[in-house]
Amino acid sequence: MKASEEKKVAFFGKITAGITHEMKNVLAIIKESSGLMEDIMSLSPEALISYQEKFKNSLSKIKDQINRGVELTDRLNKFAHSSDETIAKIDLNEIVEQLIKLSQRFARLKNVVLKTDPRQRSDQPVIIETFPVQLQMALFACIDSCLNVIPSGSEIFIRSHKKGEKYAVHVACEGNISSQTDLARRILTSDQWPELEGIVAALGGSVELDSSGPGIWLFLSKE
Amino acid sequence: MTKPKLLLVDDEEEFVDTLAERLHLRGFQVLTATDGEGALRLIEKELPQVVVLDVMMPGLGGLEVLQQIKTRTPRIPVILLTGHGSTADGIEGMRLGAYDYLVKPINIDELIKKMLEAVST
Repeated sequence: MKASEEKKVAFFGKITAGITHEMKNVLAIIKESSGLMEDIMSLSPEALISYQEKFKNSLSKIKDQINRGVELTDRLNKFAHSSDETIAKIDLNEIVEQLIKLSQRFARLKNVVLKTDPRQRSDQPVIIETFPVQLQMALFACIDSCLNVIPSGSEIFIRSHKKGEKYAVHVACEGNISSQTDLARRILTSDQWPELEGIVAALGGSVELDSSGPGIWLFLSKE
Repeated sequence: MTKPKLLLVDDEEEFVDTLAERLHLRGFQVLTATDGEGALRLIEKELPQVVVLDVMMPGLGGLEVLQQIKTRTPRIPVILLTGHGSTADGIEGMRLGAYDYLVKPINIDELIKKMLEAVST
């Protein structure tokens, strides 16, 4: 298998593993909540009355987790369909939001908050024609590069921009960062940087370190 | 047989609270923690007889917590909970000193059986 195909497969594997891992937690909560309801019912006929609040709580947890499960499977389904077309016209804002949702678990495990920059205008679509899977790989690689060096408790903000004929995504690291220069250096010298450059080059774009942030600029052409 | 005092550790609060209630209904004394540092503090203070520990947690992960338990209080058996599809986490955990592991979503009767075996060993 070609190296680029191997990387795509690895990317799909990583994202799928993350979402299905979270689905297991959803199912575990549903299983325990329904189990508790069974336990209460098996105590005595009167138990249902004295444990009414606990029973209602369990039902509420089950409903919440079903909603969470639906959201997770929606995300996975959208992600799976991103490979339907090799090249497609996509809304860059939408892809950024999708990647943020797909990356939430990885950010949470590092105690990092990952969000769209509040200045992002999601009501104004930014349409570009590109390789949807590779673009997601590039965005994920940017996020991952930051996650691997940023301290716990920090935040990552992502925003798409239009710069002339080019479109860009800015991934900005913020928080309790003792040395911005050191963080920027660590992003640049990480094992992931050359891989990120390779993925972005294949998209016809370029990637630059934003040492002032610190963060990463991902530049893409409209076509 | 006296039911052991146990500590449940998982960052999914709903899971930990509900499982704790079910075990309490079955006569167990249950402590809970939703992060690794909190778990280690509780272990030092309360000395549970068995720890049930999720592998994937933000911050101090389950395997790191396991290693610290095995260093500080090696006699407390640890049963790992993993959401991993393969046996990799479980086997790595047992190599690091876990008594056993279960894959989520768990079966409560199987958990109880393993806990009782662990404390009687």
